[in-house]
Amino acid sequence: MSDTPVLQYSFLAPILIVLGGAVIGVLLEAFAAAKRRAVLQLTLTLGTLFIAFLSLLRIRNLTSAKAAMGSVMIDGPTILMQGTILLIAFFAVMIIGDVDNFTAQASAVPGSDEEKSALQAGRQQTEIFPLTLFAVAGMLLFPAANDLVTLFVALEVLSLPLYLMAGLSRHRRLFSQEAALKYFLLGAYASAFFLFGAAFLYGFSYSVTLSGIHAAVIGGTANNIFLLIGLTFISLGLLFKVGAVPFHAWTPDVYQGAPTPITGFMAAATKVAAFGAMLRIYYVTFAEANWNWRPILTVIAIATMLVGSIVAITQRDIKRMLAYSSIAHAGFLFTGVIALNKAGLAATLFYLLAYGFATIGAFGVITLVRDSSGEITDLNRWAGLGRRSPKIAALFSFFLFAFAGIPLTSGFIGKFAIFTAAYESGNIGVVVVGVLSSAIAAFFYIRVIVMMYFADDNGDSLTVVIPSPLTSIAIWVSGGVTLVLGVYPTPVLNAINTLATFIR
Amino acid sequence: MIRLSLEIGQTQKPEAILFYILAPLSVLAALGMLIVRKAVHSALLLAWVMITLAIFYIALDAAFLGIVQIVVYTGAVMMLFLFILMLVGVDAPDSLTENIKGHRATAIVAALGFGGLLISLIGRATLNHVSVGLAMANEPGNVQGLASLIFTQYVFPFEVISALLITAALGAMVLAHSQKSAGARLSQRALSSVRFRGDSLANAAGLPSSGVFARHNAVDVPALLPDGTPAKNSISGVLTARGDVQDSTQYALGSLPKVDDESGDK
Repeated sequence: MSDTPVLQYSFLAPILIVLGGAVIGVLLEAFAAAKRRAVLQLTLTLGTLFIAFLSLLRIRNLTSAKAAMGSVMIDGPTILMQGTILLIAFFAVMIIGDVDNFTAQASAVPGSDEEKSALQAGRQQTEIFPLTLFAVAGMLLFPAANDLVTLFVALEVLSLPLYLMAGLSRHRRLFSQEAALKYFLLGAYASAFFLFGAAFLYGFSYSVTLSGIHAAVIGGTANNIFLLIGLTFISLGLLFKVGAVPFHAWTPDVYQGAPTPITGFMAAATKVAAFGAMLRIYYVTFAEANWNWRPILTVIAIATMLVGSIVAITQRDIKRMLAYSSIAHAGFLFTGVIALNKAGLAATLFYLLAYGFATIGAFGVITLVRDSSGEITDLNRWAGLGRRSPKIAALFSFFLFAFAGIPLTSGFIGKFAIFTAAYESGNIGVVVVGVLSSAIAAFFYIRVIVMMYFADDNGDSLTVVIPSPLTSIAIWVSGGVTLVLGVYPTPVLNAINTLATFIR
Repeated sequence: MIRLSLEIGQTQKPEAILFYILAPLSVLAALGMLIVRKAVHSALLLAWVMITLAIFYIALDAAFLGIVQIVVYTGAVMMLFLFILMLVGVDAPDSLTENIKGHRATAIVAALGFGGLLISLIGRATLNHVSVGLAMANEPGNVQGLASLIFTQYVFPFEVISALLITAALGAMVLAHSQKSAGARLSQRALSSVRFRGDSLANAAGLPSSGVFARHNAVDVPALLPDGTPAKNSISGVLTARGDVQDSTQYALGSLPKVDDESGDK
C-alpha cells in the first residue's frame, strides 16, 4: 500500500480558500433569492479574496516549501505573484460588481423578446462571481505549479471561466459571443500544443516534475531533439496566453468583445499568472538550456514590442488600442524573462504589479464612458471628454502616462527596472528596440489625451456616468497605487528583491 | 489480458503489425474529420479515431486507459454528441467561402511545412535511455498502479480538476438555461378555456394541418383555405419567423399545369 499523501494545507490555503469560496458561490446561485443574489455574491467574492490574502500573508515568511506532494512550490516568487493576483482580482471584482456590464440572460438570443423581458425583469447573471473565483484559483496555482500535470490543470482552470465570461457582455452581444468562441477555440488549440510539448518533455527526461526535467537538462545525456520539441510546444501554450506576437491574433478581438470589467481582469491577472509560470519554467527548468530558447524568445520579444506598438497606432477603438498596448507590454515583460538574472525576475514581478493596477484602472474608466446605448469605445467620440468630466479624464490620462512609462508613474519605474535588467544581461538589442517601441507607444497614448483635452467638443451625447461606490474605489485606488509605485517604489522593490529567488 | 508488447523497449511483431494497420487508418479518419462536410460523419470518424487510440493504449499495456477511452469517450461522450447533433438537426454543411483571400492555400502550405519539420525532427530523434515500459508501473496491477499515483503523487491536481468540472457545469447552465418568467406557460386548464371560451370556436377542434391535399404535405407548405388563401395558422410560428414558408398557392388546383395526356386520368 502507498503512504497517505501529505498536502500541507497551510501552504495551499490561499488556493483552497478561493476554491471554497467559488463552490459556496455556486451554492448561493442555487439557494439564495434572486433579488439578494448579486449583493451576497459580491460580498462573498470580496470576502473570499480578502481572507485568501490574509492567509497568504501568514505564510509569506515560510518561503521555499513544497506542498501537495511536490505538486506545488511555495517560494518567494510564488508568494509575490499570488499576492499580486489576489490584489488585482480584489479590485477587478469591485468593477465586475457593477453588473450593468453583463448580459441579463446569456441564453436569450441577442435582440429577442426573451432578452428584452429579461432586461426588464432586471435579471442578472450572478454566476460571473463564482466563475471569477474559479479563474483566480487557477491563476494562483499556475505560477506555483511544480510539475507539468499541475501546470496543465491550472491552465485549464484559469482559462475555462475566462472563455465563458468573455461572452457575457450586455451590449453588442453577438460581438461578445464571437469573442468568446474565438478565445475558446484558439485557447483549446494552444492547450493541445502545451500537452504535446509536455509529452515530449516526458520522453526527454522521464519525468514531469520541473526539477526532474531540470536534472535531465543538466545531465545532458538525454536526446536534445525531444527537449527542443517539448520546449517549443510548452512555450507555445504559454505564449498564447500572454498574447505574444505570432500568437496574438485573438487578443484584440477578445479584448474588444468581452465585457470591459472582464477585459481588465483578464489583461491584468492572466498576464501575472502566465508570466509567473513562464518565469518559473525558464528560470528553474530550462536555465541551463538557454542557448535553446533565448534567441527565439528574443526574436519574439522584439516582434511583440514592435507589432504591439505599431499596430496600436492605427486603432480607432479604445479597447482595441489597449489590447495592442497589452501585446506591446507583453513584449516589454519578455525582456525581463530573457534577462535570466535576479534583477530580471524582480523587475518582471514589479512590472506585472504596476501594469496590473494601471490596467484595472484604465478599463474601469472605460466602463464609465457611455451613452444611452451603452459603452462607447470609439475613440473619435471621446473628443472633448476632458472638458466635460475633467476628473475622470485626468485619471485616465494618468493611467495612459503609466502605460507610456512617463516619470512619476509606476510604468516608468517598471520599464526602467526591466530595461536595466536586460542591459545587465547583455541584451543590448532588445533594450534598444524596447526603448524605441516605448517611444512609438507613447505617441498613441498621448494622442488619446490630446483628443480628450484639445479636440473640439463634438457635442456628442456621451457622458461619464457616476460610478458606483465600489467602482470608484477601485479606479481611484488603482490610480493611487500607480502614483505611489511611481513616486516611492523603494519598499515594494525591496520586498520583491528579498523574496525574488526561485527554489528548485 | 492480451499482452501484445512482448518485450519492453522494442516493437515486437504483433504490435508492429497492429500499429501499421491501424495507425494509417486513424490518421486517415482524423483527416477525414476535417474534410467531410456533414457534422454527423465527422462525429463518427472521431469515434473511429478514439477507438483506434483505445486499441493502441491496450496494446501498450495501459488497459485501464484503453477501456476508459472506449467506455467514456466513445461510449458516452461521443454518443451524447451524436444525439445532440441529431436532436438539433445540424446537418447544414459549413460554408466554404474564404473570408481572407488565399487563406486556405497559406494554411495548407504552413501545415505541410510544420508537419514536415516535425517529422524530420522526430525521425532523427532516438531515445538514449533504456525504456522501462509499464512493467514496473503495472506490477501491483494496472488499475492499482494508476490509483496509487492519482491518490498520492498527483492528488492535488486531481482534486483541482473538480473545479474544472464545476466550471463546465456552471458554464453550461449560464449559456443554455433560460429562466422563463412566471406565467409564461399556461396550464392545461387555462389552455383549454382559451380554446373553448374564446371569441370563436374556429380552432376548437385543433389547428389545421399543413400541406395541400394530394399535392404537397411538407410542414412548410401552408394549407389552403376554401377561398384559395394560405392558412397562416397551419404553419409553426418558428418557420414563419425564419422565413422558411413556401408559397402554397403554386400547388392550388387552379394554377396547376395541365396534366399530361399519358397519365390517362383526364
